[in-house]
Amino acid sequence: MTPRNIILAVALAIALAAGVFVAAGNQAPVAPRSALALPAPKPVPAFSLLNQYGEPVDQSVFEGQWDLVFFGFTHCPDICPMTLQVLATAKKTLAEQGHETLPRIVLVSVDPERDSPEILGQYIDYFGDGNLGLTGRLEEIRKLTGGLGIYFEKQPGDDENYSVDHSAAVLVIDPDGGFHSLFSGSHVVEDFVHDLPILMGDR
Amino acid sequence: MRLFVVLLALALVACGSPKPPLVISELEVTRPIPGRHMSAGFFVLTNNTDEVISITGVDSPQFARVEIHETTVTDGVSRMRELAVLEVPAQGSVVLERGGKHLMLMQAQDIGDSVTLQFVSGDAPVLSVDYVFPKDN
Repeated sequence: MTPRNIILAVALAIALAAGVFVAAGNQAPVAPRSALALPAPKPVPAFSLLNQYGEPVDQSVFEGQWDLVFFGFTHCPDICPMTLQVLATAKKTLAEQGHETLPRIVLVSVDPERDSPEILGQYIDYFGDGNLGLTGRLEEIRKLTGGLGIYFEKQPGDDENYSVDHSAAVLVIDPDGGFHSLFSGSHVVEDFVHDLPILMGDR
Repeated sequence: MRLFVVLLALALVACGSPKPPLVISELEVTRPIPGRHMSAGFFVLTNNTDEVISITGVDSPQFARVEIHETTVTDGVSRMRELAVLEVPAQGSVVLERGGKHLMLMQAQDIGDSVTLQFVSGDAPVLSVDYVFPKDN
């Protein structure tokens, strides 16, 4: 190989490497890896519930910010705290990464018999500031869950000791109050950290 | 006498003491969330015998009631059910973890820095263990 050819070869290698680098740069993640987005956001159905302060709220409570909505109950020792902890950690991670658009975490009780606003408030405060808890009359909770395709069913047991089966999904509600997307499977922090900026348009 | 004890100790070390029949590891008990009176327990139970060990109950002085539960997520629905028996396979282990089998500790009495768990098989106690909460928890 002549010196000229060597220079050409080196130049070619650099150009190739640069091309690969640019191509890689263009392959920034644009698709969620876990969340499923609806073809078009679906308005949250009308309901009348109480927030954790006992104040009446309706569907407009979902307007003005991105929300991560989980359906659970405070007597659930396992999957509910685990999921809320995943959401809280994901939110903290996004803040540490410098994202300005951060979702609010919302727990809708599927056990209003035991989950008073006060109990719900103590529970969600444990997972960070600014969280929202919703509880109230069972038929009003059913209006919300039914319209969003969320299932729950109280199981047999005594007065204080029963469980509630419930959908494990986390729903993403957009600032217009539209059901935008959902995380259905087993929830891991990394999926939320990866997908939420894409879903919320804050990459 | 002292020499005898030392020799005995050395002999035991040399022979290797027999493994205990049931061993608990990776134990974690969650602190009750403020306002709540329940905790969850997660651990691995290892059976070093050639027979299945059936755990039929767990008691704790710090809780009025302890149940063995299993959470399953099927078709997107989370369900929690009580297990009557927790079987630890012969020469094997059973794992209690988040999102799976776990202890549900209810009606916390007076929780200080530690929780005692007593595992029962039939009427016989088979294992007792103390869990000390981490300082930063």
